[in-house]
Amino acid sequence: MSKLIMACVVSIITGAMLSAQNGPVRGTVLAESDGTPIVDAFVVIEGTDMGTETDREGRFSFSTLPSGAKSLKVTCVGMQAKSQPIAPSMTIYLKDEFENLDEVMVVAYGIAKKSSYAGSASIVRSDEISKLPVTSFEGALNGKVAGLQVTSTSGQAGSVSSMRIRGTGSMNASNEPLYVIDGVPVNSGNAGFSGDYIYTSNDLLSTLNPEDIESVSVLKDAAASSLYGSRAANGVIIITTKSGREGKPVVSFNASVGFTPSWATGNYETAGVQENVNMLYMIFHNYRTAGKGESDEKANAYALAQLNKKFNKHGYSFSTEGTGAYDNVIISDYDNSGRAGKYYDWDDAYYRTAVYKDLNLSVSGASPTTSYYASLGYMDSQGRLRVNDFTRASAKVNLNQKIGRFFELGTNVRMAKTDKSGYNDTRNTSANSFFQTRNLLWGLYWPTDYSTGEAWTTRYGSYAQNNKYYDNEWDNSSKTLNAAISETATIHLLEGLDLKSIFSYDNSTVKESLYYSALHYNGASTNGSITEMRTIYEKTVSSTTASYTKAFGSHNLAFLAGFEAEKNNTDYTRSEGENLPTSKLHTVSTAGLFSAAGYSWGNSMVSLLSKLDYNYAERYFASVSFRRDGSSKLSTDKRWGDFWSVAGAWRLTEENFLKETPWLSNLRLRASYGVNGTLPSDNYGYMYLMSYTNHYLGNAGGTISSLANDDLSWETNYSTNVGVDFGFFKGRLNGTVEFYNRDSKDLIQDVPVSQVTGLSSMLKNIGRINNHGFEIQLDGEIMRRNGLLWTASGNISFLKSKVKSLYNGAEIIWYDPTGGDTRAQYLYREGESTYAFYGYEWAGVDKTNGKSVYYVNDPDDSKAGDFIYKGRGATYDYDSANYKIIGNAVPFATGGFNTNLSFKGIDLALGFTYKIGGDLYDGAEKDVADDGYYWERIRSKSYYENMWTPTNTDGSQPALSGLDLTDAMEYSSRHLYNASYLRLKNLTLGYTIPGRISSKACVSRARVYFTASNLLTFSSYKEADPEVNEYGTRGWETPIGKTYVFGVELQF
Amino acid sequence: MTVSVVCLSCSSCDSFLDLEPTNSADAESAIVTTDDAQVAINGVMELMSSSSYYGRNFIMYGEAKGGDMTIYSSGRGLDGLYMFNHTPDNNAFSGFWSVGYNCLLQVNNLIENIDKMNSETAEEFAYYKGEALTLRALIYFDLVRLYGLPYNYSKNSYGVPDVTGTIPIDSQLGRASVADNYNRIVDDLTKGESLMSSDKSENDGYVSYYANLAIQARVALFMEDYDKALTTSETIIDSKVFKLYEPSEWCASWAQQYGSESIFEIGMDSETDLGTGSLGYYMIRYHQKTSAQGWFLASDYFLNRLGEDPGDVRWGVMDNDEYWLNTGTVRKGACYKYIGGPEMKGDGKENPTAVDIKVIRLSEIYLIAAEASLHASHPDADKAATYLNAIRRRSPNLAAATASTISDDMILSERGKEFYGEGLRFFDMIRMNKTIEFNDDLTDVPVTYRGKTIDRTFGKIVLPIPQSEINANSVIAVQQNSAYSK
Repeated sequence: MSKLIMACVVSIITGAMLSAQNGPVRGTVLAESDGTPIVDAFVVIEGTDMGTETDREGRFSFSTLPSGAKSLKVTCVGMQAKSQPIAPSMTIYLKDEFENLDEVMVVAYGIAKKSSYAGSASIVRSDEISKLPVTSFEGALNGKVAGLQVTSTSGQAGSVSSMRIRGTGSMNASNEPLYVIDGVPVNSGNAGFSGDYIYTSNDLLSTLNPEDIESVSVLKDAAASSLYGSRAANGVIIITTKSGREGKPVVSFNASVGFTPSWATGNYETAGVQENVNMLYMIFHNYRTAGKGESDEKANAYALAQLNKKFNKHGYSFSTEGTGAYDNVIISDYDNSGRAGKYYDWDDAYYRTAVYKDLNLSVSGASPTTSYYASLGYMDSQGRLRVNDFTRASAKVNLNQKIGRFFELGTNVRMAKTDKSGYNDTRNTSANSFFQTRNLLWGLYWPTDYSTGEAWTTRYGSYAQNNKYYDNEWDNSSKTLNAAISETATIHLLEGLDLKSIFSYDNSTVKESLYYSALHYNGASTNGSITEMRTIYEKTVSSTTASYTKAFGSHNLAFLAGFEAEKNNTDYTRSEGENLPTSKLHTVSTAGLFSAAGYSWGNSMVSLLSKLDYNYAERYFASVSFRRDGSSKLSTDKRWGDFWSVAGAWRLTEENFLKETPWLSNLRLRASYGVNGTLPSDNYGYMYLMSYTNHYLGNAGGTISSLANDDLSWETNYSTNVGVDFGFFKGRLNGTVEFYNRDSKDLIQDVPVSQVTGLSSMLKNIGRINNHGFEIQLDGEIMRRNGLLWTASGNISFLKSKVKSLYNGAEIIWYDPTGGDTRAQYLYREGESTYAFYGYEWAGVDKTNGKSVYYVNDPDDSKAGDFIYKGRGATYDYDSANYKIIGNAVPFATGGFNTNLSFKGIDLALGFTYKIGGDLYDGAEKDVADDGYYWERIRSKSYYENMWTPTNTDGSQPALSGLDLTDAMEYSSRHLYNASYLRLKNLTLGYTIPGRISSKACVSRARVYFTASNLLTFSSYKEADPEVNEYGTRGWETPIGKTYVFGVELQF
Repeated sequence: MTVSVVCLSCSSCDSFLDLEPTNSADAESAIVTTDDAQVAINGVMELMSSSSYYGRNFIMYGEAKGGDMTIYSSGRGLDGLYMFNHTPDNNAFSGFWSVGYNCLLQVNNLIENIDKMNSETAEEFAYYKGEALTLRALIYFDLVRLYGLPYNYSKNSYGVPDVTGTIPIDSQLGRASVADNYNRIVDDLTKGESLMSSDKSENDGYVSYYANLAIQARVALFMEDYDKALTTSETIIDSKVFKLYEPSEWCASWAQQYGSESIFEIGMDSETDLGTGSLGYYMIRYHQKTSAQGWFLASDYFLNRLGEDPGDVRWGVMDNDEYWLNTGTVRKGACYKYIGGPEMKGDGKENPTAVDIKVIRLSEIYLIAAEASLHASHPDADKAATYLNAIRRRSPNLAAATASTISDDMILSERGKEFYGEGLRFFDMIRMNKTIEFNDDLTDVPVTYRGKTIDRTFGKIVLPIPQSEINANSVIAVQQNSAYSK
């Protein structure tokens, strides 16, 4: 709606020139972009409170003017305000809000003009965030900012996303940026502990209604972020919420409804029932022929017996015409079940067309002394898999009051309640519906017993459960109540000298419950169970800063100094009841047996901060910052750390030699260097502790849980940034090219140690990682003609991330932590990628026998092995091969591009995201393309079509075998794919009803729109969705869907 | 605002920054009183009751590999044990290693703290130190049997690393020999015995003086030190502190805690209860309870042996199994020892699956005495028969053993019947150099990692040292068990 092309006045006043001082004035307010009239613009005579509004034609008039009136000021929502000297007949053109603006950005502890800012920061405005069907704003940033990678592990509504700014700089501590809302650091990440039970996540930031966001600043380099010191190494994301603007009150109402009828891509589509029956038959047949040397006849009899044993109970029986391994298995009725030829559709049973609803109402406005913004929001988002719902009710009030000339008081209050229920989102046989439909649920299984018609309650042979039945026997919810209040007092002591104090309190209370009835398999042994958990996250921040700005001729100075104290505390209690009297009451108190836990943990920090900015004639810029942090997470000797930055910029276009260059509207060079840090994740990692969390026979037990580590210290991040900003053709093409280098040192490594010590790892500040790369951001106006405006922007980030040093140079094998299923194996090795996949090198399938071939990779002899394959030593037995680095999850480049088109009220926007290069490790393929195991599981269509058989010797997948191979389970390059993709992330088509029509209904602005998300995906990886998590892996988490949203926006 | 003003004005930053956890405390000063020592012992006991150790896997290890159990279908869980499908990084059952050494850290820390005290104080702690030494011996005894070859087969081969104190966290120790491990075990037990001798009372849920002796008897048997095994077991028997169950009481004993035969029992309660993953669920019939997966059932061989006497009281904890469920043919291969007997009421606690693990019972001491009597430096077959018959009474229709009929095999058979499901079988078979036959043919489950029979020449009778240890410890990296080294 930057394209809310509205209009202003054209004054068609002919008539004689009247006295500007007291005669009548008439005028028209028009949109500069396309000349359309702007309705309901607010026109004030400056220096007075006299004002009027434009009519449907954008016209206004004053019949008399007070003496001394010199100029008019026009304000309108979505447009830049403008003052113009009074003339009897006026035409005032307003610019679109974000157009050609020397953008004012919210940065660390203040604001800055983009043209004078020497650090590296990007800004994303509200209109790019609020209209997308995302439950939290993170998803909307995808592809918008060079150097920012947003990934969501799961497509579940309300789950946590992950943000990486300029790579990964830590092994053990957090890699997530610091989030700051309205000047105050806030809690983020996963809330609560349900994930320990059912592997879901609950995003704390989704308590923030994206509709309330005015802008998001992404601080990337040290100059931008070092003022946040020890928490800034991963960058800072500053969110600013909306506030009122001078003018008449604006009431906005937005409503949208969306549908997700399908996944964004195919996801391990299964082979048909017949094909899967044939495959299981092959396995059993092969077990007897290859494994025991038996005849085809005997093997056939055995295989059919096994099939019958497994599926007779579901009403099917099996036979073959011949006895060969590749015979087609004839599936018929068993016991006259009537099921032959009919298969149950589990996709249909477990998936749904998810519905998304979002309603927002806000009121905002301002007088010269008071500004306000108040909003209410309600969102309801369903997951496409049943048992995943997310709702949010939110309210926000921002109030700013000037008291006299010296005081200003600001109050920000944010309240939100979210409620999430979710499914087990990892490789879990019984409680992940997606995994079940793709790998475990045969069409031969039915939710009812064919003979009795009763619900099928035992586990199926594949270990899947009938969730049609069990979903009624359990319940889960995570309810989060977030209340954040911050008070800001500003005292304008002298001209240019301000004292500002912010006190904020942020409380998120997460109430979780998990219930299993006595009929549920998880409640069977305990006769029903209920677990209730409360986690209260409290963050109290107090900061006081003094700022002073002064110009001495062409010398401009700005100085800031302050102190800050922060305290974080988390309180956790859990009560659990077992042996429940009735399935109607899900209450701990009713239980026969209780258990409980409760404790709290936290950390605190004290900081001093200062910053000095200087510029000469807006041409030469320099700035320095310094912060000293003390943290409770480190021992007394190590807890204080100093963080600083220096930066400079040179605006070449202010120099005389470039001022006259017509095609160059802006050219600026800038550079920065600085140090910031990361704290250990563990609050008490330096302590030698006896932990009292074990109990034995009702008595307290204590165990040594960690050894003393007084040396534990900060991770430090040395960051360099060099950038060029440029603008061509009167600002029609703007861009930025930046080079950065992040050296992260003293990294905390969880160094694996010999378990003979009794522990398995120790924390050491030892590792070093380097991230460096290029970022390019371009924004351009392609066409502006006859009311048509077509703009495009794009960004690309190139990143190299390497491990530079490790403890004693010792390599560390580690696993993807997502999903808890160790789906991918990595190696930290000096000189190699930070995300280096480690496993066997799979050479493909031997055409002569269908066996998997592995290169032996003997470090001393490349020919060593059982045989030579393609000139290298190879083997069929992975056990005789050696692991090596087989891939790299860090892509060559990532980014996005967007284009917007507006014409006569119609707007069309396309947003693409892409990734070029890098590898993707498919951790779910081991299940759907398992080449030998008797597990009663189904396999994918892709495996079926590509497996080697005597008639398909070119098959890329190994032959099925009955010899209990665990090849598929091994970490090998067989599961490695090119991770490149291009995705049409969002497509929006909108229409703004002309003001002259809408205003008849007292609506100053009305727009209807349609947005489609994840509409198109192009990739070489075809098995499932190529948009994967930050570790470059795919597992069994819920995929994302294609969402279609219809919405309306009204302003009164 | 207030916070920072206060903080900076009174320079109390350090106190603002001194935060401590609420569920842990400084370990340096954690063991001061005898109550603290008890808390530390509780900690170890809880660790030992985890599913990776006595809570389930250690017991299942001894059963799944011993031939008296079989599986009905593959892929259900822990069948890697049955199939001998182990590699250092797949099905390595690394929990034995990590939990074992974590337990050792706890006992070593306790012993060290007691040793630091002055002699007067240390005296008050004597019993606790005795307990700690006894537990250390037991843990080493378990570890050396999991990772090292039998003492009476290859005692100079690799056992497990010998750690007797808290060691620097970056230490890399190699493996001691099996013989060294046994020397440590014997030494610890002997010291523990004398430290606990002042109080010979039972100590429900913990090791006691007699538990120490019972472990000594068991260890002596594995070392073929029959004289010691005999004298030690007779000391226990003669003390009359424990009493054999009458045949009529035997079955009901599984529904109670701390029965008269229990010498050492590890307590399980609702906190440590494994629920549907408990030992009880691993042995009861498929889907007798929702989520009972029919993991393990008795082999034909066991059923045939127990079937020598249809009136054997020990049938009382067995019931029809999955084979019966699917075919209708009676087959009592499902075991209800760990769920309070066929009524599945548990052993008196709220959760039927929270059933104590009976680590050593008096029956075993009798059978150790019987076996030791046969092989002692002065063999006494009469005595052996007497001890055996005290247990053999549980099969009333079988002829009592006599000095002329008694044999090692007869005692082994009795051990098998008596301790079915208690985790002793595999270790007995290997110790006595028997061939173990697996009942794979019950349902024709495919098995490719071993033959139908194995004996102690088979390399996988020991587990691989887990890959995580190999990766972190260069000394041990070259000491992998040969069946698993590349």
